[in-house]
Amino acid sequence: MTPAVETHALTKRFGRRTALDGIDLAIEVGTVYGVLGPNGAGKTTAMRLLLDIIRPTSGSSSVLGVDPRTGGAALRRRIGFLPGELRLEGRVTGRAFLAHYASISGPVASGAIDTLARRLDLDLSRQVRKLSKGNKQKLGIVQAFMHTPDLLVLDEPTSGLDPLVQQEFLALTREARDNGQTVFLSSHVLSEIQQVADTVAILRSGRVVTVSDVDSLRASAVRRVSVAFADATAQAVHDVLSRDPHLAELTITAGEQLTVAGTVEGDIDPFIKAIAGFRVTHLTVEEPDLEESVLGLYAKEAGDD
Amino acid sequence: MTNALPLYRRALGDSWRSLIGWSLGVVGAIFLYVPLFPSIGGSPDVQKLLESMPPELIKALGYDSLSSGAGYVHSTFYGLIGFVLVVIAATTWSTAAIAGDEETGSLELTLAHGVTRVQIVLERAAAIVTRLLWLTVLSVLLVLALNDSAGLAIEPGNLLGEGAAFLGLAMVSAGFGLAVGAITGRRTYASAAAAGVAVAGYALNAVGNQSSDLEWLHALSPYAWAYGTLPLANGADWAGLALLYGVSAALIAVAALALSRRDVTG
Repeated sequence: MTPAVETHALTKRFGRRTALDGIDLAIEVGTVYGVLGPNGAGKTTAMRLLLDIIRPTSGSSSVLGVDPRTGGAALRRRIGFLPGELRLEGRVTGRAFLAHYASISGPVASGAIDTLARRLDLDLSRQVRKLSKGNKQKLGIVQAFMHTPDLLVLDEPTSGLDPLVQQEFLALTREARDNGQTVFLSSHVLSEIQQVADTVAILRSGRVVTVSDVDSLRASAVRRVSVAFADATAQAVHDVLSRDPHLAELTITAGEQLTVAGTVEGDIDPFIKAIAGFRVTHLTVEEPDLEESVLGLYAKEAGDD
Repeated sequence: MTNALPLYRRALGDSWRSLIGWSLGVVGAIFLYVPLFPSIGGSPDVQKLLESMPPELIKALGYDSLSSGAGYVHSTFYGLIGFVLVVIAATTWSTAAIAGDEETGSLELTLAHGVTRVQIVLERAAAIVTRLLWLTVLSVLLVLALNDSAGLAIEPGNLLGEGAAFLGLAMVSAGFGLAVGAITGRRTYASAAAAGVAVAGYALNAVGNQSSDLEWLHALSPYAWAYGTLPLANGADWAGLALLYGVSAALIAVAALALSRRDVTG
């Protein structure tokens, strides 16, 4: 099956500044693809290129099987886009605002707008310019989802949303995927990508640092562990644990009990086998924090420069 | 069909408040000046006052024909207050249409939908023409209504010619606002171009009025293309109108082309 989005060596320069440096992406139909990176990494640039709002310096892309440069209005009607910086100022009501975009990108199924607005807890009768940042963001989300486009391109979709609405948004995203729609979203917040994305690309300084599925990202992730032992000496514990190559930041505190803390990157099994030889009185293994592992990736990449 | 020209309808819908404001401005200016013609245009005191003023100033202001109804209405409204009003309106609307929309970031959102850039420029230009046409029609109807009571003795056909010139002059400003806005995406540049061309045209015309040596300046002045032959007194100047509308149309085409070719960055 042709990917929903495919780019080859896609490059964009603004004057001397290279915003996007030859990225290759392939987003399968019916998946949620998250792109993660700090501000200025090129996430917004990549999205604008896919919508033909800006044009590539070199390289090529195909969106729903069509080059965005030639796809024109017909292609964009099949895409729902939420810009990263949504500044809405009109005196029109939210409903009239949406009706306008429905008239240029429709058709919108009857009731779709009201259902979305209700789920996101958005009042459509208020003037757009009087809405809070969060409510403007909701309006932008409704605008992107309302015509059930084949592809959703969402730039920092949850910014300004309170946690409950964020969850509702993530549910909408999952439903869109289950409906066969493809979702391309960007974020600098890992937790939301972790919750919703099938694949994650990490972007830094206009380059794709890594692409992986969330499960393997989790597998390579760093877990914090802490164990308490009874009847063990610090020396004996140290000798056994220091053989585990996945264990780092090891601290051993002798007290009433012997407490050991550290981080395990990747495979947890050798650590479990190693402590099994002692009498364990307490054990905690924290859920892997993708944030830490991704920051690790940033750090490694930065170290390579 | 309710879905025809969505951007055109949106542009008009978004600006009806401002259109009411400009309409009140036109009504106010006409009611302020035109009914006074019997006491100013025909008055010996005013004639004496005008004679005492430097002839260069009279020529610059185009006040040399204040004694006729046509000359008076032209000098006070179409050539001066109305001109200022309609140029400011054209500047505001044409700047907002592309450059303003881009700076607020909403052009990006519109472009992500099922519209083409050429369509955006053309529909929004059409919305500007519609609003300027409304102001022109309003002024023509009011002057017609006051024609008898104020003793203006203006030929209705000539009034149409003057209105067409008035609208064309406003369209040149709007065209510059659209084109420069589409090329640069900057509100400041678009406003400067739209208002600047009106000011420059007025100045070139005023200087060109001074002597036959400087008359060639009229060829560069949209203001002179519009009013050089005093259409309100002498009837429509087809060559001038062709220039005004030709230049406006060319500028709108430039705007459509420029916006299609460049990145929209907001």
